[in-house]
Amino acid sequence: MSSPLAVLEAKKQQAKKNLEEIGYFSDVKIYVGMATCEIAAGSNHVMEVFQNAVKEDKSLKGVYLSQKGCAGRCNLEPTVEIYQKGKDPVKYVKVTAENAKIIIEKHIKKGEVIKEWVGK
Amino acid sequence: MEKQMFTDRFASVFGTESFFKKQKRIALKNCGLIDPENINDYIYADGYKALGTVLTKMTPKDVVETVKASGLRGRGGAGFPTGRKWELTAQQESDEKFVVCNADEGDPGAFMDRSVVEGDPHTVIEGMAIGGYAIGSSKGVVYIRAEYPLAIKRLIKAIDDARKENFLGKNILGSNFSFDIEIRYGAGAFVCGEETALIRSIEGLRGMPKSRPPFPAAKGLFGKPTLVNNVETWANISSIIVNGVDWFSSIGIDKSKGTKVFALAGKIVNTGLAEVPMGMTLREIIYDVGGGIPNGKKFKAVQTGGPSGGCLTDKMLDTKIDYESLMQAGSIMGSGGMIVIDEDSCMVNIAKFFLQFTQDESCGKCIPCREGTKRMLEILTRITDGEGKPGDIEKLEELGNVIKKASLCGLGQSAPNPVLSTIKNFREEYEEHVYQKKCRAVVCEKLITYTINDKCIGCSACRRACPVVAIKGAPKEAHSIQQELCIKCGKCFRSCKFHAIDKTSEAKEQK
Amino acid sequence: MSTVKIFINNKEYNVDSTYTIMKACDEIGIKIPRLCYHPKLSISSGCRICIVEVEGMRNFVASCSYPVSEGMKVHTNTDAIRQARKDILELILDNHPKDCNTCVRDEVCELQQLASSIGLRERKFEGVLRTPFVDASSPSIVNNHDKCILCGRCVRVCAQIQNVSAIDYANRGFNTVVVPAYNNPIAESVCTLCGQCVNICPTAALTEQNYTKDVFSLLNDKTKVKVAQIAPSVRVAIGEAFGIKPGNNMAREIVHALKLLGFDYVFDAQFSADLTIMEEASELLERLNGHGKLPMITSCSSGWMKALEQFYPELIENVSTCKSPMSMLSSVVKSYFADKIGKKPTEIANVAIMCCVAKKYEAKRPELAMEDGNPATDYVLTTRELAWMIKSAGIDFKNLKGMDFDAPLGFSTGAATIFGVSGGVMEAAVRTAYELATKSKMENIDVIAVRGNEGIKEGAININGTEIRVAVANGLGNASKLFEELKKDPNKYHFIEVMACPGGCIGGGGQPYAGIQDLPFDPKLVNERAKALYSSDEKNTIRRSHENPSIIQLYKEFFGKPLSEKSHKYLHTHYKQKFPKGILRKSGKEAK
Repeated sequence: MSSPLAVLEAKKQQAKKNLEEIGYFSDVKIYVGMATCEIAAGSNHVMEVFQNAVKEDKSLKGVYLSQKGCAGRCNLEPTVEIYQKGKDPVKYVKVTAENAKIIIEKHIKKGEVIKEWVGK
Repeated sequence: MEKQMFTDRFASVFGTESFFKKQKRIALKNCGLIDPENINDYIYADGYKALGTVLTKMTPKDVVETVKASGLRGRGGAGFPTGRKWELTAQQESDEKFVVCNADEGDPGAFMDRSVVEGDPHTVIEGMAIGGYAIGSSKGVVYIRAEYPLAIKRLIKAIDDARKENFLGKNILGSNFSFDIEIRYGAGAFVCGEETALIRSIEGLRGMPKSRPPFPAAKGLFGKPTLVNNVETWANISSIIVNGVDWFSSIGIDKSKGTKVFALAGKIVNTGLAEVPMGMTLREIIYDVGGGIPNGKKFKAVQTGGPSGGCLTDKMLDTKIDYESLMQAGSIMGSGGMIVIDEDSCMVNIAKFFLQFTQDESCGKCIPCREGTKRMLEILTRITDGEGKPGDIEKLEELGNVIKKASLCGLGQSAPNPVLSTIKNFREEYEEHVYQKKCRAVVCEKLITYTINDKCIGCSACRRACPVVAIKGAPKEAHSIQQELCIKCGKCFRSCKFHAIDKTSEAKEQK
Repeated sequence: MSTVKIFINNKEYNVDSTYTIMKACDEIGIKIPRLCYHPKLSISSGCRICIVEVEGMRNFVASCSYPVSEGMKVHTNTDAIRQARKDILELILDNHPKDCNTCVRDEVCELQQLASSIGLRERKFEGVLRTPFVDASSPSIVNNHDKCILCGRCVRVCAQIQNVSAIDYANRGFNTVVVPAYNNPIAESVCTLCGQCVNICPTAALTEQNYTKDVFSLLNDKTKVKVAQIAPSVRVAIGEAFGIKPGNNMAREIVHALKLLGFDYVFDAQFSADLTIMEEASELLERLNGHGKLPMITSCSSGWMKALEQFYPELIENVSTCKSPMSMLSSVVKSYFADKIGKKPTEIANVAIMCCVAKKYEAKRPELAMEDGNPATDYVLTTRELAWMIKSAGIDFKNLKGMDFDAPLGFSTGAATIFGVSGGVMEAAVRTAYELATKSKMENIDVIAVRGNEGIKEGAININGTEIRVAVANGLGNASKLFEELKKDPNKYHFIEVMACPGGCIGGGGQPYAGIQDLPFDPKLVNERAKALYSSDEKNTIRRSHENPSIIQLYKEFFGKPLSEKSHKYLHTHYKQKFPKGILRKSGKEAK
């Protein structure tokens, strides 16, 4: 009989596979804060913008979009993180639906970080 | 290296921000990093490794010893050594035992538990399963307030997913250990955060505390030995198991090991959740993590521990954040509320605010808390209304001390803290209110005088706004307020666009 | 028994290691002041009056709940403790009306006595009072919220002794009140009106609905024939209200006092207890012969009847159709006796002096009314109310010579006397049933098995070769336990006696307040009252209901025989399922 740790290791491999299937290891990842506080600040609208973009915009194919819990920056919510392979993650704060569209266009598509919207 | 990965992933993402630089994330290690609704995300981040380790390599006794040796103390407020609690519950002989997670976060302005459950629900489940293994229980209950619908939704999904993956249920990960978790909703009573009241509430009774002993460890839920820990405490367990006792106890100081999550609120630049190592000073957390006081205002006090805590002054800013030091300074750790107060706040009014809360939330069972807080509130209201009488401050102290020493549960025993600590540290403000009818922060409405200065252009906006026709003046000429008619509603002040109305509170001669 | 060494006020004692501090102090002769504590109820620790100082503890501890431990150093009377108790008591009084002089519990108020012993002499923290509210919806019990100090004894007695849970705390903090579920009026709640809450209330927050004013007016009404009747247990308890030791049978003094108050006739509910036995024993024999459901359950206790209709509708057919002795006597007075003295029933007023508050409700049950629609019993007074009326009328109760009950409804047997004690109805019924069935004398008529303090008692009697199994439950909590047993084995018993109050009628909700020294339903107090009834039974030359000459005469002149058509009309009634707020109707159709 295999030990619980061995069972877990198998589960971890399976989890990796599952994540792979949903594009977790993609070159571009977008995380949108979706805790109650973030939603209250409007993150659901931001999420909607990203969801529509990922679904409809062919140039964003393969981009991994996920929700996340709150990191604790109440005064700066909603927050969005963009991970691009080989680069430091960029954390946008006080994102609005409008800003989200610009972030997609400028940052994700063209790689231009919009510095004034990044949290310090 | 692997150990580093487990807890420091957060730093690699967020470490560049000043807010996060001095933070150390254990309970919140995954919050903001993973998708809370995807168990794969958690597993891939080494989730359930602690549970697997415990079930593979450790006896229940080993687990209890580990938690004991780590020096972890209850994060819900009182700071009782967690390992000792586990040991006491493990020692009980019983056909059934329960593990309870207290997620009835009720302090105004505190939301660390919500953040954990919403951002990383599996870490709570994992902690509880380990607790169940350690004390010999197969049944866990999460008591969570119904006002947290998203947290509840994510927790339900997490429990379902954990069951599917056999992290909960029968023979977890092929071992002999079985454990499952149920959710119970709290209906919003602050007192249900007190463990005996919480237990009664789970049993379907009115949430009222019972006297201890017997402690829940001996006689808890349905009379069975019960291990009650707070969300944040549970969220610490897996890291302790995976990273080891030495790692954990290297963080923090003396009798307070590890980290504590604080909800920074009030007059501070970076409001938010911060998890800092124990032993950090108040100054560091307020100025380095919190970014200081906004708008160039002066720091006046910091209130820690929520409505049960006390207010500390600028002289105490170098107090270390640990259970003993805060207690010594006249406050408490509490569940981690931290409200920063600047010069624009009236300390008497702040004390009144907190007392109003505890007074509303008193369960009504014991007399000192139920009746005493009401009388204290009456006296405080009197003082802030300018009707304070000589002797009122002393009455507050006398009542406060009786309530503190004679109340049945922690709610009552700590309810007078905000009042007693502000009297201790800001007595002169109380005295000004009582004897001079003056509120130096110009907050207490009834003590404010509105006057019109020479910036007045006679636009008449204030005259039209005044509900009691206390403002006289011809158009385009300077207006004036008839003080004997003024009801101090402040409408004129808000209507004036020319900063021509002054709001002051000066010492008044005793009648 | 293991002991621990503790220090109380610097003196060393060895006490049982399982004791609380309060119990240890009680044993060495220090009575720590207390309010919410009651030995028969769970410990609440809510009042904080019994706090003491324990060395090494940051806060004061409640002595009622804190266990002793080796080497513990307890101080019960330090300045700090005395001051804290004063402050706490003042907090209670600050939220309590200052109307002691006009309060029904003046002089018999636990709070008053406590204030006096704690020595509160100045008031510092006065503020607003709780919102005044009086629930006088029920004919039996009045809930006066202004006077409630939220000690919770009523809540616990209702839940833990009676298993009814009609009342509980509602709202929070300063707005906390004790009310029936969903804030319904008592009259619409599941309250069985047993009145144990009234007995145990330290103040006048829960009292009986008071009818003394109406009765004084009645006594001045020259157009009415005023008839009084007294229950068995009134006579052995009323003395307590006059400072006489519990356990004195004061029947003759009560009759005398009632006559002085202005009653024309004073009859004895014990007479109708004998009558009840005639009917009930006959009904039992009928049922044992296959006519009707078994086990048969007694129907004397009005609190139990209300509980039956709402909690145990499935047992309605098991319950004897006999009215209570009170209602039987009232019916007989307004029929048989009215004929005898040539009066119309409307010209007679029946006043029943009972140990019970639920009887006030029973008197108003429509199915117990006379043919003309008027109630058979016009007023019901508790033992307490009568004691007050006697005092108020200036009657020197202690020094009365005493008088006999009036004929013909004032003569009773020993069997009727013991109706007041749990097991008494059973014992009396067995005596008569045995002899009616076997047509022979029962040799030892003391049915010891059904006597005593236990909550549930069992016994068996051999009648004509058949073993008749009986059970007795006192207190609705015990009754519910017994019914659980019955569910498991419906044939376990033939005959069951149920009394709503602990100890039976002698522990009724209308009995004199026990005060701080003798707590309500203290076994000692109830035992003294019971002893007095048993000794009256023993001293009686006639101890079997069917041998009561007045009863024999009544059957001869009026009813014919037990269970006759006439007796069904005047002495029997029926019960039906009821749905107070909180009891769900089974189908939606019924609900409409």
